[in-house]
Amino acid sequence: MKEAYLGIDIGSISTKGVIIDDDHTILSSAYIWTEGDPIGAAGRLLRLMEPQFDAESYAITAVGTTGSARKLVGVMVGATIVKNEITAHAIGTTSLYPDVRTILEIGGQDSKIILVENGVAVDYAMNTLCAAGTGAFLSSQSKRLGLEVEEFGDLALKSSHPTPIAARCTVFAESDLVHKIQMGHTKEDIVAGLCKSVVANYLNNVGKGKKIATPVVFQGGVSKNVGVVRAFEEALDCPVTVDENGHLMGAFGVAILAARGKRLAAPFDFSVEDVSFKTREVSCGQCPNNCEIICVYREDELIDSWGNRCERGKPKR
Amino acid sequence: MFGEVNNGKKKVAFPWVNRYNIGVKYFVEHALDAQYILQPPMTRRTLEMGEKNSPDFVCTPFKTTLGSMIDALEAGADTLIMTFGLCKLGYFGELQEQILRDMGYRFDFVNMAQYSTGGLKGYLDAFRQVNSRLKFGRMVKAGLASMRMADCLDDMEDRYYQNCGFEAEKGAYRRVWNQFLQAMTLAENKKDIEKGYRRGVEGFGAIPLNKPEQPLRVGLVGEYFTVMDAFSNLDLEQKLADMGVEVHRWMNVSHRNLHYDGSNLEVQARDYVKYEMSATATANVWYAKKCGEKGYDGLIHVKSASCTPEMDLMPVLANIGADYKMPVLFLTFDSQTSDTGLSTRLEAFFDMIQMRKQVLR
Repeated sequence: MKEAYLGIDIGSISTKGVIIDDDHTILSSAYIWTEGDPIGAAGRLLRLMEPQFDAESYAITAVGTTGSARKLVGVMVGATIVKNEITAHAIGTTSLYPDVRTILEIGGQDSKIILVENGVAVDYAMNTLCAAGTGAFLSSQSKRLGLEVEEFGDLALKSSHPTPIAARCTVFAESDLVHKIQMGHTKEDIVAGLCKSVVANYLNNVGKGKKIATPVVFQGGVSKNVGVVRAFEEALDCPVTVDENGHLMGAFGVAILAARGKRLAAPFDFSVEDVSFKTREVSCGQCPNNCEIICVYREDELIDSWGNRCERGKPKR
Repeated sequence: MFGEVNNGKKKVAFPWVNRYNIGVKYFVEHALDAQYILQPPMTRRTLEMGEKNSPDFVCTPFKTTLGSMIDALEAGADTLIMTFGLCKLGYFGELQEQILRDMGYRFDFVNMAQYSTGGLKGYLDAFRQVNSRLKFGRMVKAGLASMRMADCLDDMEDRYYQNCGFEAEKGAYRRVWNQFLQAMTLAENKKDIEKGYRRGVEGFGAIPLNKPEQPLRVGLVGEYFTVMDAFSNLDLEQKLADMGVEVHRWMNVSHRNLHYDGSNLEVQARDYVKYEMSATATANVWYAKKCGEKGYDGLIHVKSASCTPEMDLMPVLANIGADYKMPVLFLTFDSQTSDTGLSTRLEAFFDMIQMRKQVLR
């Protein structure tokens, strides 16, 4: 029986999972939409991953979670490590591309840049006050244009005169986009313009003041959009690598971290996918802070809670 | 006047600023012979009340201090004191007074910005609004004692955040710290202050530490209010310390206001700034450079949204970070900043500097 490690990345838009072995080979993987239900998504994810996994020869001995619902799903699957997505991505990418110097990452609602020297992250930045130019922006604009977000990139490549679109702010970009449609610009030019505007926005906000050295790796859901990849290559004037598993990099990274960390008491059991987990939000009300406390229940039993600023707000089991 | 009840003593309050209300209390009671009203610590409601009654785009400290003034008025204060400042802070008092009056509150307002001539005479004129019989000698004596208290508070706070992340027994530092704050609150004279401080230093010194030989050290720079007020920066320093980090912050009242030597700092920061950048920016450049020279593992810049002097500072800090190979994390706080978002960024920053240190070693 060989050891295997499970990594789950539960983002705002999509949920990703991989199982790797000691050589970091991917044994099983899945990518689904979160659809606003992280617990349900994690269950569906595990159901998709279970048939691909060879339970005869491997046992999952460590589990890691990352992404914005890492804590919640971490409790659900009994994770041995819960790590933020920035570290997970840096670890995942640097183990596949040891020479990488710059990691560009655009996800559903966040975007970040990680600068790497000698295989270690030395600087990073993440969008703070604004989510313009992320995947959520592209998918809402594709709906407006009556397109599937998946066909966006190929359409953009057909354009030879991308329409300039004001990209500073999502709302104003949308007004500008409507204006350009009404003026009679073609769909492919507008789509290509949107891809360029995502890149311009990224470089002006997240990438501002950062020295982007090559090799450059681009990942996150938006990296699947070839139009944005080309816009990055043009803007940076250098090749931009997109790994075929780029969308899984967070899950891959946290699986590696799980492999380095402590082991589960008993091998991971996929039957957790059928256990019912519920959350409940409680407003503490014992002082004007009114902390919103999240209680997590497994089969109606309280197993964890967080969100309280002080001991008074700790729910009794 | 409206406040002349309670045996003629006014009930004076000052907006909540880190731990300094203890020092203000000492001054109000001992120099002004007035009653000090200590409002409850800031909560979500403080911020919401401040936000609701402030212009949307004003910097966050305006909203928190306004909310804290409302807390004080509700707690029974009839006189509010507001500080002067070298940036928009200088205009806070005037606008806040107007907003509170428009809301219908009745109170006396001492706006230090109207007296900031730099001379002691200005202070005397200002505080005579609270107590018309205030004697110059009495003001100076109590003033010196409360300044000494600020020194002690700042020195103890430095020791606290540089060590509490490494205590062998969880909560030991917090216990001594609370005892010290209690002693400062109860201090009746300069001797009490010195005694409380000595006890505090000894108390901290007696706590066993599990500190590695080369601990992770992070420097904090940024906007005056947000960088040192734990409520405003979502307890940033404690979060860092709890990860096992020595947190170093130069910016505090005693360094910036009581013992500040601006021209000396400017000389030392000249590689990066050619002229005074107002408010706290020059001092921050100087300290960021110092952190680089000392080989700190990282630098964190803290500001509230729309803080102009600190925004101007960001490219300079990026240069310092590049020159000294010191990662810089930029954090902007406003009333919407989420605790989860902050934790994610801090954890990532911590992982990064920790892994980096292991490789460099």
